Amino acid sequence: MMHPDQIKTLILAGLPCEHLAIDGDGHHFEALVVSAEFTGKSRVQRQQRVYQTLKAKLDSGELHALSFKTLTPEEWSVQRG
Amino acid sequence: MSEPTQQRIHQTVTGNPVVLYMKGNAQFPQCGFSATAVQILKVCGVNDFVTVNVLEDPEIRQGIKDYANWPTIPQLYIKGEFVGGCDIMREMYQTGELQKMLAGIAA
Repeated sequence: MMHPDQIKTLILAGLPCEHLAIDGDGHHFEALVVSAEFTGKSRVQRQQRVYQTLKAKLDSGELHALSFKTLTPEEWSVQRG
Repeated sequence: MSEPTQQRIHQTVTGNPVVLYMKGNAQFPQCGFSATAVQILKVCGVNDFVTVNVLEDPEIRQGIKDYANWPTIPQLYIKGEFVGGCDIMREMYQTGELQKMLAGIAA
């Protein structure tokens, strides 16, 4: 059982984010990650980058159900309109 | 990382046009994300994809995570190439990219 804030802290510790929102019930989480580091990277590379920051929790099985949206700041501003 | 397991995975993903590593099978997925992945492939018109149930084989379950450097299941491979997990499949379906990749494979 993890709190969304714990996940947020872990991601922020490993990846500079312009924006990070996480929603979840302790078992399933949804994250919107906006980072300039994603620029020029494929979807797979972006998500791998976020997974890196959560490796310990994923390996332990504490965290397994996490949905992602990964955007660059430019993509994010377009989506917000 | 065990070599024979990595070789087995390589043979499976390169020997079949569409392979989904999942929990359960297409008829009875045992995880919401795996169920979504199966649904997405079906609405793309792909019906004869190969599924590998990672719950039946602990070596594959760990091995597939190492193979793609991807820590979660499901994982989709098209023509030997790792495409992504459930989120990426959903995004690529919404943009039409996935349908394009699967065009010509869909029976």
